[in-house]
Amino acid sequence: MTQAPMEEHEKDVEKEEENEFKGTFIAVMLLGLFLIASWVGVWILFLIR
Amino acid sequence: MNMHKYEKIWLWFGTVTLLVFLTVVGISAFYMGNQPPSCAVTIDPAKAAKEAPFNEPGLKQIGDNEYQLTVLASAFHYDVGEPDGIVEIPKGATVHISATTSDVIHGFELAGTNVNMMLEPGYISTYTNTFKNEGTFTLLCNEYCGTGHQTMAATIKVVD
Repeated sequence: MTQAPMEEHEKDVEKEEENEFKGTFIAVMLLGLFLIASWVGVWILFLIR
Repeated sequence: MNMHKYEKIWLWFGTVTLLVFLTVVGISAFYMGNQPPSCAVTIDPAKAAKEAPFNEPGLKQIGDNEYQLTVLASAFHYDVGEPDGIVEIPKGATVHISATTSDVIHGFELAGTNVNMMLEPGYISTYTNTFKNEGTFTLLCNEYCGTGHQTMAATIKVVD
């Protein structure tokens, strides 16, 4: 009986952590896409010149 | 080790991106032959103007749609073998460029193309380029070489 509330509590913590890192994840992915876009841009410039 | 799901995704993303970049660069360098300018050949800068091929700078046809362009740079001038400093290259031609300097370090940038070299006294810089696009391109010095640096230029015309 004492274990059920504990598990629920752990799940809550996990969910909270996920929400906490969502913004970081999106920001870092946007940075990644920016890096790819600039790399591809320079590469295309090299190929067409 | 307990690693967050998002961190794992990001690490995979970074690793795969790096591998893709390296593969593209590898294919470009070793299959397509895109190499940086070479400067492995040496020359005495004081005698460069009298030694072949720099005693006769300019554009010479060496094959079918293939040319050799020899340029001797000095403060503050590019000797491209033409009195008006304008070289005409047919569109689509492959040009092997050889250039050197008879005095100080000069740049060799053909603005708007991939041709961009450093000319160092004592070394012959070479680069091969295929001129795919028509147009007038300015050859300019991008290494500060003295008081006349900004006047140092020549013109390459790629004509159809």
